[in-house]
Amino acid sequence: MRMDGFKAIAIVAVLVVFAVFAGMLVIYFTNAVPAFHRFGIDVYLKNIWNAAEEPSREAYGIAAAIWGSFYTSLIAVLIVLPLSISYSIFVVDYAPKRLKNVIIILSDVMGGLPTIIYGIWGAFVLVPLLRDYVMQFLYDHLSFIPVFSYPPITGYSYLSAGILLAIMVTPFASAIIREAYEMIPYTYREAAYALGATKYEATKLLIGYIKPAILSGFILAFGRAIGETVAVSLVIGNTFNLTWKLFAPGYTISSLIANQFGNAFIYEYMTPVLYAAGVALFIIGLGINIIGLRFIRRWEENVKL
Amino acid sequence: MSSFEVRKQKERLFLMGIGSLTFLALLPLFHIIATVFRNGLPVIIKEGLNFLTGTFSNGGIGPAIIGTFTLTFLASLLGLPIAFLVGLYAYEFPRSTVGRWTKMLLQIMIEFPTILVGVFVMQVLVVPMGTYSAFAGALALAIILMPYVAIYTHEAMREIPFTYREAGYSLGLTRIKVLLKILAPMTKRGIFTGVLIGVAKVAGETAPLLFTAGGLYESYPSSVTKPIGSISLLIYQLVQSPSPADHEMAWGASLILLIVFLGIFIPIRLSLKEVKL
Amino acid sequence: MRFAIETVNLHIYYGSNHVIKGVNLQIPEKGVFALMGPSGCGKSTMLRTFNRLIELNEEARIEGEVKLFGKNIYSSDVDPIEVRKQVGMVFQYPNPFPHLTIYDNVAIGLKLNRLVSSKEEMDKRVEWALKKAALWDEVKDRLKDYPSSLSGGQRQRLVIARALAMKPKILLMDEPTANIDPVGTSKIEELLFELRKDYTIVLVTHSPAQAARISNYVGFLYSGELIEVGPTRKVFENPEHELTEQYVTGVLG
Ligand SMILES: Nc1ncnc2c1ncn2[C@@H]1O[C@H](COP(=O)(O)OP(=O)(O)OP(=O)(O)O)[C@@H](O)[C@H]1O
Ligand SMILES: [Mg+2]
Repeated sequence: MRMDGFKAIAIVAVLVVFAVFAGMLVIYFTNAVPAFHRFGIDVYLKNIWNAAEEPSREAYGIAAAIWGSFYTSLIAVLIVLPLSISYSIFVVDYAPKRLKNVIIILSDVMGGLPTIIYGIWGAFVLVPLLRDYVMQFLYDHLSFIPVFSYPPITGYSYLSAGILLAIMVTPFASAIIREAYEMIPYTYREAAYALGATKYEATKLLIGYIKPAILSGFILAFGRAIGETVAVSLVIGNTFNLTWKLFAPGYTISSLIANQFGNAFIYEYMTPVLYAAGVALFIIGLGINIIGLRFIRRWEENVKL
Repeated sequence: MSSFEVRKQKERLFLMGIGSLTFLALLPLFHIIATVFRNGLPVIIKEGLNFLTGTFSNGGIGPAIIGTFTLTFLASLLGLPIAFLVGLYAYEFPRSTVGRWTKMLLQIMIEFPTILVGVFVMQVLVVPMGTYSAFAGALALAIILMPYVAIYTHEAMREIPFTYREAGYSLGLTRIKVLLKILAPMTKRGIFTGVLIGVAKVAGETAPLLFTAGGLYESYPSSVTKPIGSISLLIYQLVQSPSPADHEMAWGASLILLIVFLGIFIPIRLSLKEVKL
Repeated sequence: MRFAIETVNLHIYYGSNHVIKGVNLQIPEKGVFALMGPSGCGKSTMLRTFNRLIELNEEARIEGEVKLFGKNIYSSDVDPIEVRKQVGMVFQYPNPFPHLTIYDNVAIGLKLNRLVSSKEEMDKRVEWALKKAALWDEVKDRLKDYPSSLSGGQRQRLVIARALAMKPKILLMDEPTANIDPVGTSKIEELLFELRKDYTIVLVTHSPAQAARISNYVGFLYSGELIEVGPTRKVFENPEHELTEQYVTGVLG
C-alpha cells in the first residue's frame, strides 16, 4: 500500500513500541550472559544464594524463586477457580439487574485497585489473620500432613502470597469468564430449558460450553499472578526455600528481583543472575500469555460461527 | 422425597453456594477499604493539612503526592501520543502483517510483568545517567500506560460504522484527516475513557518505579533529571520498615492513594458499560 | 460524444469472488442515470469504482478502466483524493457525522480541504448547498443543532448538501431512499428531479418503479453483467432482453 501522511507518522510510533519490546529482550539476554557463562543452566536448577565480595566464591541458583512463582500462582489459581466461576454464574443467571451492575462495578474496582494497597493490607492484616486463625489451627491439628508441617511463626509464606494473589486476580479472571458466559446465545439456554432442565442443570450444561474461555481465563490469571511484584514481596517472606510446605516463607522471581536488585551491584555476578531471573520471568510470562490469548481468540472465533 | 423435591433442593443449595462464593470474592474489597480508612484516617486527622503538604520528617507526604502527579503527568506526556497513534494504526491496518503484530504485541504488553519494565528502564536510562530520575520513572510508567490506551483507542475506533469512513473519504479527504479530524473525534469519549483508565492504572503502580524513580520525601521535586518520590513507592518502603510510626504513615499514604484512585476510577466506571482490566 | 462516466471492460473481484464481469457502460453528462438490479448483483460495488472508494476494501481488485470526462481515473498518475473531490456521494444509510452540527456537516469537506478562504464565503456556501438540497427552510434556524434532531429524510438531504457543498460534477447515490419513510422518499425524489438539470447523477436503486419515475437513462445489472442500458422510457416500454422485462415487470426479485 502507498505511503501517506498518516502511515508515515503512525509507523514511527509503531516502530518505537516494537523497538522498546525488542530492546527489552536484548537488554535482558545480554545482561544475563555472564550468569549463563559462569553457572550454566544451574542458575535455574539449583537453589543456592552465596553472595560474596570475592567473585570466585559467588554462587547463585534461583530454583527456589522459580518454584515460588509457580507455586504461589498455582495456589492462587486454585482459589480463583471456584470464585470466578461462581461469580460469573451468579452475575449472569441469578442476580437482578441492579445488583448485577453493582457487583460488576465492585469487581472492576478490585481489579484496578493499586497493588500496593493489596500489599499493605496483606502484610498488616491478612498475614496475621491467616497465621492466627488458619495456619496455626491447621498446624496444631494436621501437621502430620506434610504441606501443613511448617510452623507458622511469622505468617509470611507461600500460602499468604497465594491467597493474596487469588484476591487480586479473581476480578480479572471473573471478567473474562463472565464475558464469555454472557456471549452464549440465548437459544442455547432456551434449548436447555426446553429439554426440561432446571436452572441449575441448564447452568451446568452452559458452563461446559465455555470451557475454553474458562481455561484461558485461568491461564491469563496465572500470568497476572506470576508477574505481580510488590504485594507478593511484602507477604512471602523473601527466603530461599524450595518446598511444598504452605506455611514456609519463600521467594518468587519478581520479588527476588525487587528485593535484591538494589544492592546487587556490589557483587560481580548477582546482577547478571537477576537478569537471568528476568529472562525466566520474561519467557514464562510471554509463553503463558500467548497460550492464554490463543485460547481466547479461538473461543471467540468459534462463538461467532 | 420426590425427585422433583430433590431437584428443587439441589437448585436452592446451588444458588446459596454460588451466592456466597461471589460474596466471598468481593469481601476483601470491603475489608481493604474499611481497614485503610480505619488506620489511615486517624493519621491524617492528627497531622491535618500538614499530612498533604509537609515533608516526611515533618509528618507529611507532600513530596510523594506531588511526585505521583508529576510522574503520572510526564508518563502521559510520553505515552499518550504514541499510544494513540499505535491504536489508530492497529485499527487502520488490521489485515497487514505489521497491523496484526502490533495488536498481538499490545495484548502481550498489557499482561507483561511491570517489574521487568522498571529494570529495563533502569538499565537504559538510570545506569547511563548515573542517577534515578523522574524522567526514568515516567518512561517506565509510559511503557505500561501505552498498551492500555492503544487498545482502548483501537476498540473505540472499531465501534464506528464503516459508512462514516466511506463518508469521510468520499469528501476527498486524506487518510490522516479522515482518522484525526472525523473518526477519532466521533469516538473521543471512548478514547478518553481509555486514557483515564490507563492513567488511573499507572498512578498506583509501584514495581516499575523501584529502580527508576529513586524516591524523594524530604523536599519537593525540582527537576526531571533528579530523583522523585511517589505515594505507592513510599508505602512500599514504609511497610518494610520496622518502625510502627512508619507503618502509621504508610496507612495514611494508602488512604490518600485510595482516594486518588477511586476519585479517578469510579466516575469513569459509572459512565460506561465495560472496562478492560 | 463525451461521457461523464465511461467504463471499459471493468472487472471487479473480492478475493476470488468475481463480482463485476466485464462491464462497458457509458453515462452521459447531466441527468439521472439509474443503475438497477436485484440485491447482490454488484450495484454498490460498481458505484464505488466511480470515485475509487472501492479501494477502502482491501480485498477488492479492479481491472479495466473507468473514465470520468474522458480521463481514466485508475491510471497511475491520478490521485484518488482529487477524484473524490469532484465526485459527491450519498449512502444507503443517512450518515451525517453525529458529532458535528448541521452547519459543520455541510462545511466539513470544504474546511478540511481548505477550499474556502473566509467565514463569509463558508456561510454563503453552506446556505447555497442547503438550499440546493431543499433543506434550508427546515434548518436555517437551528444550524447549530446536531443531526440527531433531524428526521431520516432530512438527514439524507443533509448528506446531499454535504456532497453538493464541494461543488462536484458527479453525484453518486447508493439507494438513498432505502432507509427513509415514504414522505421523505418523495421529497428526495423531487429533489433529484431538480438536481438532474445541473448534475450527472448515478442513482443505484433496487426499485424499478423509482428508476422509472426519476431517471433519464437506466442500466440493468444482473449478477455482475450489464444486461441492458438505454433511455428510461425505451428500456421500460420496449426492453430488448427477456431478463430486463422480467425485472421491470416485477417477476424477478
Ligand atoms: N466486502 C466484500 N467482500 C467480499 N464480497 C463482497 C463484499 N461486498 C460485497 N460482496 C459481494 O459482492 C457482490 C455484490 O455486492 P454489492 O454490495 O455490490 O451488491 P448490491 O447490488 O449493491 O446489493 P444490495 O442491493 O443488496 O445492496 C455480492 O455477491 C456480495 O456478496
Ligand atoms: Mg448495495
